[in-house]
Amino acid sequence: MNHSHYDVIIVGGGHAGTEAALAAARIGCRTLLLTQNIETLGQMSCNPAIGGIGKSHLVKEIDALGGAMAVAADQAGIHFRTLNSRKGPAVRATRAQADRALYRIAIRQIIEAQDNLHLFQQSVEDLLIENGRVRGVVTGLGLTFHAPAVVLTVGTFLGGLIHVGMARHEGGRAGDAPSNRLAQRLREMPFTVGRLKTGTPPRIDGRTIDFDGLEAQPGDDPAPVMSFLSDGSEHPRQVPCFITHTNERTHDIIRAGLDRSPLYTGEIDGVGPRYCPSIEDKVVRFAERTGHQIFIEPEGLTTREVYPNGISTSLPYDVQTELVHSIGGFEQAHITRPGYAIEYDYFEPRDLKSSLQTRHVDGLYFAGQINGTTGYEEAAAQGLIAGINAARQVRGEAPWCPDRSEAYIGVLIDDLITLGTREPYRMFTSRAEYRLVLRQDNADRRLTARGRDMGLVNEARWAAFSRKAEQIEQLRLEMTTRCIQPGNPEIEACLGQPMAREYTLHELVKRPGVDVGTLLAIGGLDAPDEVREQVEIDAKYAGYIARQQQDIDRIKSQHGTVIPEGTDYGQVRGLSNEVRQKLEEVQPSTVGQASRISGVTPAAVSLLLVHLKKSRASGTLKTA
Amino acid sequence: MNPAGDTIVAVATPVGRGGIGVVRISGPLAESIAVAVAGSLPTPRYAVYCAFRDADGAAIDVGLALYFPAPHSFTGEDVLELQGHGGPVVMNLLVERVLGLGARPARPGEFSERAFLNDKIDLSQAEAIADLIDSASSEAARNAVRSLEGAFSEAVHDLTEGVIQIRIYVEAAMDFPEEEIDFLGDERVGRELDSLRERFKRVIAGATQGALLREGVNIVFAGRPNAGKSSLMNRVTGRDTSIVTAIPGTTRDIVNEHIHIDGIPVRLVDTAGLRDSTDPIEREGVRRAENEIARADLIVIVVALTGHVDKPIGSGLHEAQDIRRSLPDDSRCLLVLNKADLVSQPFAGLPPGACVVSALTGEGIDHLKDRIKTEIGFQSGQEGTFSARSRHVKALQDAERHLEQGFSRYREDHSGELLAEDLRYCQQSLGEITGVFTSDDLLGRIFSSFCIGK
Repeated sequence: MNHSHYDVIIVGGGHAGTEAALAAARIGCRTLLLTQNIETLGQMSCNPAIGGIGKSHLVKEIDALGGAMAVAADQAGIHFRTLNSRKGPAVRATRAQADRALYRIAIRQIIEAQDNLHLFQQSVEDLLIENGRVRGVVTGLGLTFHAPAVVLTVGTFLGGLIHVGMARHEGGRAGDAPSNRLAQRLREMPFTVGRLKTGTPPRIDGRTIDFDGLEAQPGDDPAPVMSFLSDGSEHPRQVPCFITHTNERTHDIIRAGLDRSPLYTGEIDGVGPRYCPSIEDKVVRFAERTGHQIFIEPEGLTTREVYPNGISTSLPYDVQTELVHSIGGFEQAHITRPGYAIEYDYFEPRDLKSSLQTRHVDGLYFAGQINGTTGYEEAAAQGLIAGINAARQVRGEAPWCPDRSEAYIGVLIDDLITLGTREPYRMFTSRAEYRLVLRQDNADRRLTARGRDMGLVNEARWAAFSRKAEQIEQLRLEMTTRCIQPGNPEIEACLGQPMAREYTLHELVKRPGVDVGTLLAIGGLDAPDEVREQVEIDAKYAGYIARQQQDIDRIKSQHGTVIPEGTDYGQVRGLSNEVRQKLEEVQPSTVGQASRISGVTPAAVSLLLVHLKKSRASGTLKTA
Repeated sequence: MNPAGDTIVAVATPVGRGGIGVVRISGPLAESIAVAVAGSLPTPRYAVYCAFRDADGAAIDVGLALYFPAPHSFTGEDVLELQGHGGPVVMNLLVERVLGLGARPARPGEFSERAFLNDKIDLSQAEAIADLIDSASSEAARNAVRSLEGAFSEAVHDLTEGVIQIRIYVEAAMDFPEEEIDFLGDERVGRELDSLRERFKRVIAGATQGALLREGVNIVFAGRPNAGKSSLMNRVTGRDTSIVTAIPGTTRDIVNEHIHIDGIPVRLVDTAGLRDSTDPIEREGVRRAENEIARADLIVIVVALTGHVDKPIGSGLHEAQDIRRSLPDDSRCLLVLNKADLVSQPFAGLPPGACVVSALTGEGIDHLKDRIKTEIGFQSGQEGTFSARSRHVKALQDAERHLEQGFSRYREDHSGELLAEDLRYCQQSLGEITGVFTSDDLLGRIFSSFCIGK
């Protein structure tokens, strides 16, 4: 065996890189994961939490496709909550505070247990490219590794510039070295490069915080789980979070320090996320607010360090100290690491195909923060897709990416490659037009069978999934055949009115106020919680889901038409210059994707359809 | 092609021309629409004489129904044609009835587009189809702008803003549950929903009653001063609305008259003669005239003939060419040569398509009316302001339906995500009038309204 030849090479060992490597290896490709530092595999470089609104949806989809993130979060989570538990199931989400060390260990164990996957600690300095095709990579020691597919997941390491007050230095995240040679090399290629910014709060020694008088926020009991394979027994000891607030004095201190803020003196060019502003941003933009929440998140069970979520800042260190000390409970706080802002390069994601392969270099894939996203979950989701497609390309199989109606992963990638992004992109449920279908509770029903077909899902997961699917179908059948007669006191109490006729259990479960548990008890039926839940949600949402399904079918049939690569939009009769330019920029792969580009009108879509039909019939273009 | 596609409807015949109007329906719902409107499914390709009924069973019109099952139809899909006696009002009621049964208004050129995509039209016609879609959609865009003028536009934008405001609260509560902005629990959302429902009702009532029928075709008389525009207008309307004198520049302001030509509501507009003037009042009149010309469906360019037998058209031809050049390229014009009474003999050298009339004697006026009808009828297939407005009303009604559904779900179980779903559909319907509002636009509004983020 040639030790420098692989099927797939993954560059970077963050959340994108590890999922990419695991996916390619699960499919059966000989895979090499190159990282600057094996000790930091699975490192959470920002806040120590996995999941949350929109994000746990991604985590469970990754899990449904056999990924690692949910399993690791269950082994490392020290505080779990279900968010939006009193709202509907479509917007419910799970969040875990994770012990950083336990999370790293869990990810490392999963990687080391994976067949076909080799680890190697080396920085990557260059890419081997021949005739527009990637051939491999060159490392810092000058070692060459060959592969027909390479996935770059280099995060914020590209052109990283760290700001603390007016002081700045080059660097990657959390003290790691920046990859400037690779950044330079990539800048020479025809990719469009942009600049983004993100930041972190100062970390604090928990022993110096006065927790008396702070509001405690315990996790849920019983703690929910992330993975469809977990039952909660994986969870380590659970600990609470705490909440405190900034006050007017904090805000005065921040205002007085703005003349030394890189954000407000023009030092920082990169665009930061609107939904994750620094504390100085919040104080300036929402001057009328007299306080802002801070979530005090434990960093782990074996460290006293805490992460004060809500005061991300790039103010000078002396201002950071003063502002921290002005906050209730932090009067004596000792800062262990200063907060900072980091600017970094990202590559215009509209240069990517839905497989996450770059348009300019065949076999080269980009995943994670390099594509302008933020968040571990968003990175992991892209890593999974890039890893799958790198493997599929090597095996001569067609690329795969879930549709917007199948998964949040599909929404994420379609948004990126169609609309691009001007700020670090984060998932929200409001981005998904099929929100009622794309729930965290049914990610397995949406994706596991597909994952099984692609070789991503192992026997144990498949068996568990099949059993659950069977139980759901069985319960649904039983509930549609069992009836309850009018006059049943328990049911009428739930309904708040007498029953006019006999109803099946399935009809009753659709009614507001009727609980599936009560119905099963009356009908003498039993089923595990996750099975009841699916039957209940399916029934309660039925009307809405049917309507969304109609939308999905309509759009698929109208917009599924493939646009062949290399389509010359100058030949499409009647298109305005503006629309033509946009189409050339994005190079959509289907008419549906074209229709989602802003400014592309229904008339333009019609013109495109007519043109494609004509081209196909006259054979001027090969059909894709 | 288009197996799960939607069903489209449009009036297929020229507006108001002739005694028969055809409403064409194409798509999978054609069959069920036939049963609902005509009472039963006609035998394929046989004409059936029947009443077209509204939702309450009352007859809208009586006529012929023809059913062409796929693939043997114009579009290659199931097609239903309803041939009625209708003027535009009846045709419009029939279209509304079909929309109520689940069809949507066809986009310009969409029947031909479907026919092409289903191999019903020869490939050699692809260019022609592309041109049709292109020209018809820019025409429709212009008409949509006209429909959206004034108070109606303000009302629609006000409703849109109202929907956005509620969505900001509802979506923020769901996407940012830890931000102390949970509005679903408090009464605010309920109150705002109530007020928005009221506003929807008012706007829709205003837009459907009268407004729809008061719109119609705009015909503007334009020309140099003293060409006889006012006399001509009085002749055509049969009323004495415009002041007529021999003094050039008598008409200073816009004069309106509403008439019906074969059931088409027509707004005739007399304007100040176009010339450079130092008189500020006349200059204002000219400015207003230019505004009217800009939104006209048909511009009647009026030019006076001269008394010279050899050169009866005289400077009139240059005048007409100058005026034509000053108008937008794509505006539809009709050249009228007035004062035929001054010329005693038949004359040669007339521009093709010109109408010769005498406002004084009434000579040629009937012919002019016919020409006007032909010209407005020519817009068929491409939608006028009239149908643009009805499309807008349909969008408003759809939006209201979604709002009402969301409201009742919210009242029932305070389920935010179902309310959010209906509000999204509501906004999507309004977006057909006011333009697309993306999820990123919504997030932008949330972030500028609330301080969000850890």
